[in-house]
Amino acid sequence: MKISIWGEELAGWTACAQLAAFGNHIIKAGSSLTPLQSSIRTEPGLLDALQQAIDSGRMVDSNQQDPYSADIHWLAMEPGELEQASEIVARIAASGRPQVLVVNQSNLGTGASDALQARLDSDLEQQLVYLPDMLQGGQAMQQFAHPAAVLLGCENEQARTRITALLRPFTREGTEIRLMTRREAEFTKFAITGMLALRLGYINELAMLADHVGVDIETVRDGMSTDQRVGPHYLAPGCGFGGHHFTQYIEGLAGLLTQSGGSRLLETVLEQNEHHKELPFRKLWQHYHCELRGKRIAVWGLAFKPGVATIESAPSLRVVDALLAQGAIVQLHDPEARQEFHALYGDQAQLLYCDSPYAAVQDADALLLLTAWPDYWSPDYSELHQRMREPVIIDGRNVYDPQLLQDLGFTYYGVGRSRH
Amino acid sequence: MSSDSCWRTLRQSARSLQQTHLSELLADETRFEALSFEHDGVLLDLSRQRFTPAILDELVALAEACDLRGSIDALIGGEKVNRTEQRAALHTALRTPAGTEVQVDGEDVIPAVQATLDKMETLITTLHSGQWRGFSGEAIDTLVNIGVGGSDLGPLMACHALEEFKPATARSIDLHFVSSMDGSQLSGLLSRLNPATTLFVLSSKSFTTIDTLANAATASQWLIDASGLPREELLRHHFIGITAKPDKAAEWGIPSQNQLLFWDWTGGRYSLWSAIGFPIAVSLGMQGFRQLLAGAHSMDHHFQHAEFGRNLPVLLALTGIWNINLLDIHANAILPYDGRLAHLPAYLEQLEMESNGKSVRIDGDPVEQRTCPVLWGEIGPNAQHAFYQLLHQGTESVMCDFIVPIRRYTDQNSHLQEQHKLALANCLAQARVLALGDRALAEQAESAPPWKRYRGNQPSSMILLDELTPYALGQLIALYEHKVYTQAMIWQINPFDQWGVELGKKMATEMLDALEQSAAGPDFDCATRGLLERIAARGDRT
Repeated sequence: MKISIWGEELAGWTACAQLAAFGNHIIKAGSSLTPLQSSIRTEPGLLDALQQAIDSGRMVDSNQQDPYSADIHWLAMEPGELEQASEIVARIAASGRPQVLVVNQSNLGTGASDALQARLDSDLEQQLVYLPDMLQGGQAMQQFAHPAAVLLGCENEQARTRITALLRPFTREGTEIRLMTRREAEFTKFAITGMLALRLGYINELAMLADHVGVDIETVRDGMSTDQRVGPHYLAPGCGFGGHHFTQYIEGLAGLLTQSGGSRLLETVLEQNEHHKELPFRKLWQHYHCELRGKRIAVWGLAFKPGVATIESAPSLRVVDALLAQGAIVQLHDPEARQEFHALYGDQAQLLYCDSPYAAVQDADALLLLTAWPDYWSPDYSELHQRMREPVIIDGRNVYDPQLLQDLGFTYYGVGRSRH
Repeated sequence: MSSDSCWRTLRQSARSLQQTHLSELLADETRFEALSFEHDGVLLDLSRQRFTPAILDELVALAEACDLRGSIDALIGGEKVNRTEQRAALHTALRTPAGTEVQVDGEDVIPAVQATLDKMETLITTLHSGQWRGFSGEAIDTLVNIGVGGSDLGPLMACHALEEFKPATARSIDLHFVSSMDGSQLSGLLSRLNPATTLFVLSSKSFTTIDTLANAATASQWLIDASGLPREELLRHHFIGITAKPDKAAEWGIPSQNQLLFWDWTGGRYSLWSAIGFPIAVSLGMQGFRQLLAGAHSMDHHFQHAEFGRNLPVLLALTGIWNINLLDIHANAILPYDGRLAHLPAYLEQLEMESNGKSVRIDGDPVEQRTCPVLWGEIGPNAQHAFYQLLHQGTESVMCDFIVPIRRYTDQNSHLQEQHKLALANCLAQARVLALGDRALAEQAESAPPWKRYRGNQPSSMILLDELTPYALGQLIALYEHKVYTQAMIWQINPFDQWGVELGKKMATEMLDALEQSAAGPDFDCATRGLLERIAARGDRT
């Protein structure tokens, strides 16, 4: 089938690669056939798969072929791009092409898909379905190819037949397709994201409490997850969650809840999360008796999570801002996000961009670990100890063993692990 | 002409006008034109005062005869106009833009003024960006101003008045004011605030004010109890000291990086333009604070350069002189028709009564005339339900200052705009009834019973602002400051000292000892002894 794919979201690029691999002909709207955003470029397996699609001739850009000549349109736009999506849909309607299917995979808010459907020409049987974007950065290719389940907002039998056919290569293992209205599917997407945020917010609150009552939150978490009703997911305490979309979705939902129901539940979660992002700074501040002027502080990890090069809403931003404001010298390392960080902060006297984790800890008065990159999990501890001026480690992701570090002569602070 | 002959002329005019009711004066259709004056968006309408344009000329002649011009130049030029304390009174220098020179004892004070503004800006940028950290490392989100008198009333009044001009960055900081020595305000606040995120601003010119230091001691103990940290560390992160005595502040424990300084030549009640205005600047941002200064500077320039016949502060002062010294009126009501100016009456009470509540002239002789009247006030519409009865039908003559902006809520809904219109209508109506009495009615009022009659003839001034902005508030306050100075010059008193408040403070120290020892000194009067005995007898009961 001939499919036009719109938008620069990870979901869109993943769809390009995966749909092309199964014989579809893809027109990627825009002039570039590879993603420009570094966080998407680093998605495992994505660039190779896109290259194969291009080489095989099954993927072209919209300069080469008119995107409105397609039978299927796949919208993977950013949350703020409702207006652009509306324009695309209006042009599809104006094209007079019958039986066009629009697959909306953008998170434009509850009711957006209905609004887009209203702009299509239903007399020509132009239909829109909503397919929530459930992909996680770092695992997008895998999750697209083998979804655990497919939620589908679809209110038209013919459209259902066509989208089911399109997804058949990925659901043939018997993957369940849950059918609901577009509005319900949109709300479900919102609700899932909010639930995850609540879990993270809750475990982080518990971690703060654990610090006060003198228990290790990691032990508590292990215990909690043995209860099937709780389970193990999204319960890792740490110095706050980040990421552009996750935060943006929750902000959207929090706004809705406050407006229509007067509920502050998610707003509180967001506020607490911002507060939590500075936790490593606060531990450092207290360790050094509220005086950080001239201290050298190593920061490992700038990306909002391992496996991405993006720093949007990352705890590193707030921590580094706080350190700079206090007159500390900050020695930064990140396997991938240094460039994006540099683009934002530029060269400053108080900032040192380091090529290796060990260069970053040279003469440091403390090391703050903010992103759990695999590179950081098992460092050469004796080199670390030797290079640091003061062997103080503030572990914002609880990746180290407190007892081991203590035995090695480090002063260790984790999240919710007060005994150490 | 000598001032004596000016006074003679004025007394004669007062006598000849004695039987003339304001309604008769207002029958002159050219009166508003002749008696309202404008400067830079501020309109002062004196057409409801019980004088004529000719009398106003006589008052201006009096000002000239008193060498007011020379006195203004002396004030703004940095001469030691505060004779009893041998210092200048340079609140005008605090709002003088950089680049102008003002010499005090051979030294230009403007660079130091600008340096303090710069330091305020640095601290405020840190606060607004969430980078002022408390003992836990959390960002400060609450500021408590501890100060009394000039260190309280000005910032409180201005912050309240200009709340809506808060820039987005300032909205993260809550402001509170604590002044009373008995700890009433503080005890309530401390139970609600988070010690980890609260910053105290300790404002005291001398850094010996007992009211302020008592509150500060309670606040610092609260921080120590909450954090378990040493006092020195807490003071470094939770206290800013604003003072003219840096050594005293340092002795108390405020490190120099947390000090904002002003100078001997800034009187307490004239100090909101100095570092004492720090809470205002936190609330408005430095840009807004500089607007406030610019508005005041505009009025300073006008005061120094405009001829007296159209000089707003001089005219407002001369109106007071006429009412007090020629018409024998000794009460002045301040009536803002705008809830944002709720604290303006209290502010002006201090400004006027502490400045001009004097009975000894600069030369040491007793004054021969009455000086500052009793001043009080309230938001006009609320006062209508409180003391306006006295204004309309009481036995006291009262001069009233109506203060109201023309525009409000311009970017908000029409209901609120209607509410402002309602307030404006009430303001105009009350001024009219006070002046005309029941002659304001179209039909004959004489047939009404005596208790329903309105005698009118109460004089009032109307200060009409285009809009209440930081700039306009700066103009308004400077207008009153210069009014006070002008009157002081005519009465030949020193408006910048306040010796009258000293003895009570001294006696209180002695009394505290007596209370603690439950024993009256032998030379106490019988009233004091009686009270001390009763307190000693009943004080221990719980």
